[in-house]
Amino acid sequence: MTRTIWLASYPKSGNTWFRMLVANLSARDGTPVDINALPERSGIASARGPFDYLTLVDSGLLTHEEVDCLRPRVYEALANGAADDEYDMPETAPAVRFVKVHDAYTLTRTGEPLLAGARGADGAIVIVRDPRDVAPSLANHLGTDMDGAVRFMGNCDSAFCGVLKAQYYQLRQGLRGWSGHVASWLDQADIPVHLIRYEDLHADTAAAFGRALAFAKFPASPDAIARAAALANFDQLRAQERQKGFGEAPRPNVRFFRRGEAGAWRDELTAKQVARIEADHGATMRRLGYELSIRPMPAEAEEVA
Amino acid sequence: MHSYRICGLSVLSEVELPGIASAPVDDTDWEVTVRLGAVPQELAAAQATGPTYQIAGDLFLLRIRGIARFLLKGGRELTVQTEDATPLEDIAIFIIGTVFGILLHQRGQIVLHASAVRVNGKAVLFCGPSGAGKSTMAAALERQRFAFVIDDLCAVVLRDGSAPMVLPDGRQLKLWSQAIENLDMADKRRAPVRKSLEKYYVEPEKAFGEPLPLGAVYVLRQARPAHPPGVAQPNVVDSALLLRRNAYRPLLVNRMGQKADYFKAAAAIANSAGIFHLTRAADFAGIPDVISTLRAHWTKIGLLEGVEA
Repeated sequence: MTRTIWLASYPKSGNTWFRMLVANLSARDGTPVDINALPERSGIASARGPFDYLTLVDSGLLTHEEVDCLRPRVYEALANGAADDEYDMPETAPAVRFVKVHDAYTLTRTGEPLLAGARGADGAIVIVRDPRDVAPSLANHLGTDMDGAVRFMGNCDSAFCGVLKAQYYQLRQGLRGWSGHVASWLDQADIPVHLIRYEDLHADTAAAFGRALAFAKFPASPDAIARAAALANFDQLRAQERQKGFGEAPRPNVRFFRRGEAGAWRDELTAKQVARIEADHGATMRRLGYELSIRPMPAEAEEVA
Repeated sequence: MHSYRICGLSVLSEVELPGIASAPVDDTDWEVTVRLGAVPQELAAAQATGPTYQIAGDLFLLRIRGIARFLLKGGRELTVQTEDATPLEDIAIFIIGTVFGILLHQRGQIVLHASAVRVNGKAVLFCGPSGAGKSTMAAALERQRFAFVIDDLCAVVLRDGSAPMVLPDGRQLKLWSQAIENLDMADKRRAPVRKSLEKYYVEPEKAFGEPLPLGAVYVLRQARPAHPPGVAQPNVVDSALLLRRNAYRPLLVNRMGQKADYFKAAAAIANSAGIFHLTRAADFAGIPDVISTLRAHWTKIGLLEGVEA
C-alpha cells in the first residue's frame, strides 16, 4: 500500500524545491529532471481536478466552506488508492505519495480535520523558513510590495485562492498567517511530523533530505540522495527556469525560483519591516530557532521563558 | 409541474429549473421525471461507493451533504430530497448540471464537459474541466455573433452514416461576475446560480432547440512553458484519451463501462469534425487573439465554407 506523506509548508518555504529533490531521485544518466515535467494534478492537495473527478460535483458550484466539508472525503479516497484522473495508472504503485499542501492544518465547520487526519495521510514533512526570507519571496509571488507581503503573513484570515467573484485553478487554502500556519502543523496530534528548516536543507541538502526520506520510509540509497541533491540544487533549478520558464510561476515573466538564499532578508527588508515581522512572529521564530535581530521587550521575554 | 427538453430528453419536473427554457413538450410518455420525495442516505448492497455517491444496480445515489440527496433510477426517474432546509432554487443548478450528467451517463449516452457555439450551421465545442474557461469562450464568441448553443454539458448523438449531432436545450450560460464585467454583459445577467455564489445565469441573445451537426471539438488548455499557444491536433490515440478525459464525469465512463463507447465516439468525431487542443493564455485581455486564431483555424478546416469573409 502506498503511503501518503504531506509536504506541508507556508508558501515560498522550499516545498517545490523538496518536490524537485524527490523527482531527481529517479533522474537518469545524470540529467536533471525537467522542472516542467512534474505531475500537475495530484501535485498539490488543493488542486480542483481530483476533487471534481472524485466527488462528481463542480467545486466551482460550492462555497469555500461546502468544499472544505467534502475535502476530507477526497483525501481519504486518494489515500486508499483511488485514481484521480483518466490517465493509465502506473503498474507498480510507488512506496510513498508525496503531496504538497499549503493549507494550514485546520478543522472543517463540522469539526473534522480538513486533511482527514490519519485517514488522509501517514505523516507530514513540515518545511519552515525564516519569515524574514519568506516575505521578499512572497511579495514577488503575490505581486505586492514588501509591506503587503508582511501584512499578509501577519493576517490570520489570509488565504490563497479565496476570491468570490471568479474561480481560481485551486481550492481556497486557509493559511492562518505565518505563525498560525506553523503552529497548526506542529501542534496537531493526528499524524506524525518531521520538521525541516529551509536553512538546514540549504546548508546540507543531502543530509536534511535523507533524514526526511527516512521519516517517510521512502527507499533511497545514499548515492541516489547525493545525486538528487546535486541535480536539484537551486542554481540548477533557476537556470532551467531562465532557459525555458516554469509552469508553476505565478505570472508570465515572474520568476518562481528567485534567490533561494538563507539570510538574504538583510539586504531586502527595511529595519521597520524586520521589526514588524519579529513583532508578529517572534515567539514562533524562537520556537524554530531563528535568532531575532531586535531584542524582545523584557515583558515578552519573560512570557516566553 | 414543469416541462423541459434537456439534452434532447423530454422532462416532467416537480422542481422548477431556472436556467433552462421551459418547453411545452408535447409528450405523455416522458423520458425523465423529476420528483420531490424521500431519498435514503445510503443504498443497500452498493457495488460502488465514492466520496459522494453509491451505485447499486440501476440505482445511483448522489449525496451532497448539507445540500441535497439525489436518487436516479435507470436514467429515467430522479427523486430529490433537500438537506438542512436548503431552498429548492439553490439546488436546481445541481439538477441541470451534475445530476443530469450522471443520468446521461446512466443512459449510456456520450456527454461531454463542454460549452458550444454555432459556426456556419455547425456546433463548435469547447471542452475542459470546471474553471477552464468554457463558458467564457462561448460568451465571448456570442459577442462576435456566433450563436450560443449550450453550456457546461453537451450530449452528442452518434448515428451510423451521418455526422455526430449535438443536442442543445435552450439553457442559459453561467458566468462568474468577473467574466460578466470583462465581457461587458451586465445587461444580460439574471439570477445567481446559487444565492451564496457570485456566479450568474446569463441570457443568450437567442436560444436553440434544434440538433446541430458537430463541427469541431477544442479542448481548452492554459499556455505553459511546455504548451505554447495555438491549435494543435493530437494523434488518434491521444484524441481518444482526450475525449474520455473530457466526458462530463470521466470517473463514470469507467464505472459504467463506457470506455469502448467513448473510444468509438472519439473515432467518429475525429473523422467527421476533428478533436484539437486550443492552448491560450487564460486571461480576458487575450480573448481577441484567441478568436482570431479560431477564425483562421475554421477557415483552414473548411468550417467557414460558403461564408463571405
